[in-house]
Amino acid sequence: MIVEGICIVIAIYCALRAVFERNTLKKLPFINAMNFAVTGTLVLLMPHPITIGVALAYFVGSTLESNAIASTFASRENQ
Amino acid sequence: MIDIILAIPISAVICLLLFGSIDFFWKLPNAGGVSGSNAIEKAIENTGGDKNGGWMIANIVTSPDASAGTLLAACGFYIWGIPGAIISIILVYIGARICADKGYAGTSGALAATIVIWILTTFAGFPQESFIAGSVIAILFIQGISAKYASRFIGKIWRRLT
Repeated sequence: MIVEGICIVIAIYCALRAVFERNTLKKLPFINAMNFAVTGTLVLLMPHPITIGVALAYFVGSTLESNAIASTFASRENQ
Repeated sequence: MIDIILAIPISAVICLLLFGSIDFFWKLPNAGGVSGSNAIEKAIENTGGDKNGGWMIANIVTSPDASAGTLLAACGFYIWGIPGAIISIILVYIGARICADKGYAGTSGALAATIVIWILTTFAGFPQESFIAGSVIAILFIQGISAKYASRFIGKIWRRLT
């Protein structure tokens, strides 16, 4: 139970940090740390072989979103 | 069997050293991998952060690198042992390719993490779930506390090594 608790507390902490950070690009590291914690929580709460695919789909999807947001900012700065 | 309270901090340090050394080996703090990571690096540098450390943080954000490989290998190993870890390694490679990354850092990180976790759980008696919490705590220190001080710390180590 303590492992799940650590992951959930870290996820909530990082989500709050991301909400109160004003610069969008600086929110992304906090969201990345939150994604790590949520992926860990998913696996710990649902230990089933399919969860490996679920956790990876969530993690890669959220990383791709961060990538897309940062790329959009980069191309907007170039223009 | 080591107590979980003791195992979590030890596995956090092991995970930090593991993915730190693999990310340094693949030269993550050297340059931005995609255009988005350059933008994040500039945002960190503008608020007093370090250039090389900023690139490493930005590269971890924009593609699944050794840190993600460590976490997902730990997850696969916790659920299904060695076969689960092998599935995670393959999926990490596919995931890194989706994010326009070459995938070397993520795949080698997952492979190294699988070997380390297998050795420590089989021979040293670490609980398997301690590595999930360990890698989450390790990434919290790099990404979640302060991008400014974390980037300065990473940049200092990177310049000392090169």
